Amino acid sequence: MRYGVVLAISSLLTLPIPVTKRACVLIDNPKTMNQRRQLIVSLTALSLCPWESASAMPSEAMQAMQAIVGKSPVNTGRVYFELPPLVESGNLVAVKFSVDSPMTPTNYVRAIHVISEANPSPNVVSCYFTPLSGKAEASTRIRLADSQRVWALAQMSDGSFWRTSVDTVITLSACTDTV
Amino acid sequence: MPKTAKKGEVFSIRVMVQHDMESGFRHNELGVRVPRDIIRSFVCTYNGNEVFKADLHSGVGSNPLFIFYAKADQSGTFEFKWQGDNNYLTTVNQAITVS
Repeated sequence: MRYGVVLAISSLLTLPIPVTKRACVLIDNPKTMNQRRQLIVSLTALSLCPWESASAMPSEAMQAMQAIVGKSPVNTGRVYFELPPLVESGNLVAVKFSVDSPMTPTNYVRAIHVISEANPSPNVVSCYFTPLSGKAEASTRIRLADSQRVWALAQMSDGSFWRTSVDTVITLSACTDTV
Repeated sequence: MPKTAKKGEVFSIRVMVQHDMESGFRHNELGVRVPRDIIRSFVCTYNGNEVFKADLHSGVGSNPLFIFYAKADQSGTFEFKWQGDNNYLTTVNQAITVS
């Protein structure tokens, strides 16, 4: 987290922040900007920079995926991940993920993990299926803290991993208001 | 979920439980963190066999909702169990007749 703060603030100083995004944050936060709000602005600016999105995803999400995958290679595709590209409130985002699989005892989806790049904690939800599930599909509602890329990582019974991602824009972040 | 099903038919099940899912990342006015209080796991078993399981983390929204699928070959009972922080435990049973 500290590394993220240093990187975000240094990029804030060197790069021109898009004016529209800054205006968006001012409207959302009419109170005076405290340090926490500045961090959210700088992290948002960082995630919107086109050159940044082309490179590797944030390290915490990468570590979370690595912990699940271990040494196996991860293929891209095969997972259908439905997540709205523009979300009004990050507090309840309906998501659906599925993998087309016969779900027989020898060929089924073991689990689908949802991993977020910008939430305080990268693991969001992990759904475990069995051949009794009939279909490897589940829907739930998650919280998203900021505009980000969200990954769905599927673990198959034969030990292979497949993943896909969706980029989404959040208008109102979750979990950032005071109680 | 449906009360009856044909043998081998795949049907959907919707479950929702009322729970605030306090993420543990919010602060009160004094700047003190509100402690985490979330449901950690949800398990659905059918006649003792696991059908669907989910590990929930702070990122799951309040009043967690799950829609998933199941296949029944014989009549029996579905058991839904939610377990969470602070010894939270809720169990619900639902019978189904398979023809």
